[in-house]
Amino acid sequence: MPYRLEITLKPDLLDAEGESIRKKTRNYFGIDLVSVRTIQIITIDASLTSDQLATIQTDIFTNPVTQISAWTPLLLPLDWAIWVGLKPGVRDNPGSTAVEAIEDVLGMTLKPGEAIYTSRRYCIQAEGLTREHADTIAASLLANDIIQQWQVYPASDWDPSVGVGFRIPRVQLNHQPAVVAIPIDSDRELLEISKSRNLALNVQDIPVIRKYFLGSQVHNDRVQWGLSDPTDIELEYISQGRSDHCNHNTFRGLFHYRNLDTGDSVDVDNLFKTCIETPTLELKRQKPWVVSVLWDNAGAARFDDDHYYVITGETHNSPSNMEAYGGAITGIVGVYRDPLGTGKGARLIMGSYGFCVGDRNYAGDLKPHLHPRRLLDGIIEGVRDGGNKSGIPTTFGQTLFHPGYMGKCLVFVTALGIMPARILGQPAEEKQASPGDLVIMCGGRVGKDGIHGVTASSEVFSEHTPAGHVQIGDPYTQKKMHDFLLEARDLGFIQFITDNGGGGLSSSIGESARSSNGCHIQLEKVPLKYEGLDQWEIWISESQERMTLAVKPEHLEVFMALSRRHAVESTVIGVYTDSGKLHITYEGKTCAWIDLNLLSSGFPQWEFDADWRSPEARGLYEPVLREPGDYETLLLEMMSRPNLCSKEWITRQYDHEVQGSSVVKPLTGRRRDINSDASVIRPVLTSQRGIAFTQALLPLYSQIDAYAMTACTIDEAVRRLIAVGADPEQIGGVDNFCWPSIQYHPVENPDGRFKAAQLVRSCLALRDMCLAYRIPLLSGKDSMYVDGYLPGKYGEVHKVSALETLQFSASAIVPDILRCATLEPKASGDWVYILGMTRNELGGSEYYDQLGYVGLNVPQVVASDVIPLYQALSCAISQRRVASCHGVYSGGLAVHLALTAMAADLGMTVNLSAVPVQGAIRNDQVLFSESAGRFIVTVSSDNREAFETLMRGQPFACIGQMTEFSGNLEIRGMSGEHLTQISVERLYAAWKKPFGALI
Amino acid sequence: MSQVHVLIQTGYGLNCDDETDHAFRLAGAAPHRVHINSLIDGSVSLKDYQILVFGGGFSWGDDHGAGVVHSVRLRTHIGDQLQEFISEGNLVIGICNGFQTLVNLGLLPGLDGNYRQRSVALTYNDCGNFRDQWVFLKADPQSPCVFTQGMNHFELPVRHGEGKFYADPAVIHRLEAQHQIALQYALPDGSLAEGHFPDNPNGSVQDIAGICDPTGRIFGLMPHPEAYHHFAHHPDWSRALELNRRRGISDIPDMMPGLQILKNAVDFARSVQ
Repeated sequence: MPYRLEITLKPDLLDAEGESIRKKTRNYFGIDLVSVRTIQIITIDASLTSDQLATIQTDIFTNPVTQISAWTPLLLPLDWAIWVGLKPGVRDNPGSTAVEAIEDVLGMTLKPGEAIYTSRRYCIQAEGLTREHADTIAASLLANDIIQQWQVYPASDWDPSVGVGFRIPRVQLNHQPAVVAIPIDSDRELLEISKSRNLALNVQDIPVIRKYFLGSQVHNDRVQWGLSDPTDIELEYISQGRSDHCNHNTFRGLFHYRNLDTGDSVDVDNLFKTCIETPTLELKRQKPWVVSVLWDNAGAARFDDDHYYVITGETHNSPSNMEAYGGAITGIVGVYRDPLGTGKGARLIMGSYGFCVGDRNYAGDLKPHLHPRRLLDGIIEGVRDGGNKSGIPTTFGQTLFHPGYMGKCLVFVTALGIMPARILGQPAEEKQASPGDLVIMCGGRVGKDGIHGVTASSEVFSEHTPAGHVQIGDPYTQKKMHDFLLEARDLGFIQFITDNGGGGLSSSIGESARSSNGCHIQLEKVPLKYEGLDQWEIWISESQERMTLAVKPEHLEVFMALSRRHAVESTVIGVYTDSGKLHITYEGKTCAWIDLNLLSSGFPQWEFDADWRSPEARGLYEPVLREPGDYETLLLEMMSRPNLCSKEWITRQYDHEVQGSSVVKPLTGRRRDINSDASVIRPVLTSQRGIAFTQALLPLYSQIDAYAMTACTIDEAVRRLIAVGADPEQIGGVDNFCWPSIQYHPVENPDGRFKAAQLVRSCLALRDMCLAYRIPLLSGKDSMYVDGYLPGKYGEVHKVSALETLQFSASAIVPDILRCATLEPKASGDWVYILGMTRNELGGSEYYDQLGYVGLNVPQVVASDVIPLYQALSCAISQRRVASCHGVYSGGLAVHLALTAMAADLGMTVNLSAVPVQGAIRNDQVLFSESAGRFIVTVSSDNREAFETLMRGQPFACIGQMTEFSGNLEIRGMSGEHLTQISVERLYAAWKKPFGALI
Repeated sequence: MSQVHVLIQTGYGLNCDDETDHAFRLAGAAPHRVHINSLIDGSVSLKDYQILVFGGGFSWGDDHGAGVVHSVRLRTHIGDQLQEFISEGNLVIGICNGFQTLVNLGLLPGLDGNYRQRSVALTYNDCGNFRDQWVFLKADPQSPCVFTQGMNHFELPVRHGEGKFYADPAVIHRLEAQHQIALQYALPDGSLAEGHFPDNPNGSVQDIAGICDPTGRIFGLMPHPEAYHHFAHHPDWSRALELNRRRGISDIPDMMPGLQILKNAVDFARSVQ
């Protein structure tokens, strides 16, 4: 019989979780609760004696100092009780560790079928809370219907002797696994089957697939293995391998680009090759520090003679949009497997995030699946738990609000790792599976997780149906695997390693088998979470925390012993061959036999029409705007803009100092809350060398031109690195494109051709800037369908598309971390300089957005003009001539002068008449233009001469001086007139106002 | 000079082992990273070590309370060995997650020589969230704590979601009377935080950041000493460096307070060998 233990905090202790729920209930729904107390429930579906139950109750599950517990329902006062538990098949981590602890304490092993489940009960006290409100709290705050089930009890229905009963979410599939052959008599028939089985085969690919299987040679060979028509597992393999996610069909497509203004047209064949691969390979030839790019899970660059660092970036948008916490934690934990699966494996050394969501206080008529406030809370918490529990510092991040992300949010996650340059004398960045090597799956087990993504959400659920499509990342399991694999690597056991992410084994084995040119997989050996999965499901399941390895048979015994020591499950599931074939059997019977080179041969290229019109031709213009008179209110309100104001509450939730490598933290300044230009870590603790990392995101400029957006984004990332003292000759980039759909459709996507043209222009800018700044692209990814359909006030449904967005991450070497610069001025009396040229470039700016305009004059980057300035500045920083350095980014000079003063808690006088400008420009334009290529620098009196000598020939000027502690920011206009004088304290208060109360 | 051997536990979600290893090396010891299972299966014995470290991280994912499963497993398998280790006068330090494990094991506070009883707890931060920030700390000069000897007012980072120290008033009173409250959250001027957030980042009773046992040889603290072993760890290092430069000071300090805590332990262990 089952047992149920309820555990709660002693009544006189603050229930922080309950308190947080109470606050969120008020913030999200405007419902006031008197109190919320939480109860943890451990449901034990196993036979134990009463002595055993008493032992585990006191030794494991109840802290005598803080908690009380009982095997009967606890008698907490309540007006409503809400029970929340996991759906069947959703990974229950506390349940698994409970099993481990119980087996350990009792010195026994649970029998097959016995298990432990965890859930929660919330006791709510609130006067007059309605059933509707209680349901809302349960469904929209406490539980997520995709992974959890719940029940709401009013006090009148609550039986204190019965409680929530015994809830056993055991998976019972009662399904006999079977391989099905799919008839391919006609294109149409295969297309129909593809639709009905969610195979998502591309229409253009269907004839190629049929031709392959109908070919007489292939057919005759297959007959020998007992096969004829393709099996479901084979078609799933092709579908996964040909998906845009895995194959990047869009970026490898043929773009017919037309400039409708001029009538000129040009074909751009394969954006990836033209704009990413070719320039990066050219730069790799010039830069010996570029070690390994464009083929592995992450790119590798030299850190020092003995170490390489690796870097990659991912997005996890759709899953996060559906289930914010689960999607985000899976995203960060997933990207952390990429460095681990690069070369022979790298140790993780840092992560970063980029969040793009709708207005946190959105009060309009659209009804997104999750309100931006809930969505943002969920993704913050997901990335927090994923990163913190992995023991990897999250040293950088940014959050951007725009209505376009109401349709689908963006969650960027970036990961860096480090590896020794050689492992037992072999190059660490190389890996090779050889015939005879064993195929080993390592880490978690396989369930129905992540199969066919969100399409599964339309299936009907029963109480024992596993929550199929949802993955919840488990950093604990992965951290154990990470530690194990690094030890295995150093012993020379890893011949090949790659992660199981999108496409599961289908992708990881498909990829690693190409290394040896073949494999034979025995699918029945794959360890499962529960019985009853079809073979194709085992093959493509995206269950997390798994890596696929090639290990030599002679290493197996020691490898497995090491795996056990680390409490990590590893299983031999096949052998690599050189047959040229992917051969899969299930209990001896062949269920797939397919040429490994099929995926790379003969499939048609995707084609897109890309029609460009200039902003002028699209009707964009500069607003007719006279100069404001009240700069004080204007600047204070600019400081409070959601995209410019303090978001300290997010940063503080991330452990950014674990691993003891922190040098420049994400937040800096006297009050330790101003965002640094870049973060710097010192990943090898015995070395003074560092890695600077930053990222930039300027999607507002895409409203005018995605070329300018891209150029400015890259320029910003470069300036951010230079501002902290990184070496401009050793910058590597990571491009993460998130684009709305570019496939033209007259009804569904009428501006698809324009968005395609924006993508082409963005890629061309990427190429141009990377070549100009000499930045090889160490890694990159694309996510192409950032659109959503939102119901409105009247039941109508709106398509909401994101702005064309590129997050550009950049890393660079810092030769000596003690020469890093930070943005905080160090002393009053220091001189304030502006470097770079200011132009009338307010198009897409925060200032125009504040006033309700887009404008036309988007900032332009002239790389040849700014590069000498960057070199000079870099030199000045490395010679310690600069006391502080900060780039001028979104919001313009006024906002960044304010941030600079706030960072030091010092007043500042500034005279705009000295600012180097180009073209006709007035005060508000100087103050809020977002021209690229600029920095604010402070210099001590004793360094002025040396600094100015180094900067000679560049556009720069001394525009003011730091004044007294907690003084005023005083700005004089271009004619020397008084513009405004605001205390740093007031600027600070305005900057803190929107989110300052959040913790 | 004889070597001081330090055992730093690893595995099962622990994560500060690399920097703790490095910091102990800087402190003059011979650190060894050892998987928890190697202790449990007996392939490594505590007998060969003078300092045992329960480091930071998320052992067993913090499920069922931070440090709970870790303490259960050690008590079950090497409980007696642990008691022997401490009764022989060796040193134990628990940092963050390790502090949580020490109080669940009962190694702290060790009142009346009882090293098996749980009488204090570390629970969820009052602020309701995980938090990474630097704090000012005040050491009790009269504490027997080996680790904080000669230390007064200094800074370290905290990074935790469950760091609120809690015990009933009688226990707190005894800890205070016996000077076992080795470290308290403080203000920049050296006075106690008195519960003020964020100076006291988690709502700890009596601003308690770290306690020792009555002998001073077992020490647990929420802040991370291993994360302040280098000048450039401090949030203000860049200002300090620039202001020093202007005063004509070019030396970079190398004995940071976090490292000092570890060095105190290493020096003590060496002195009693």
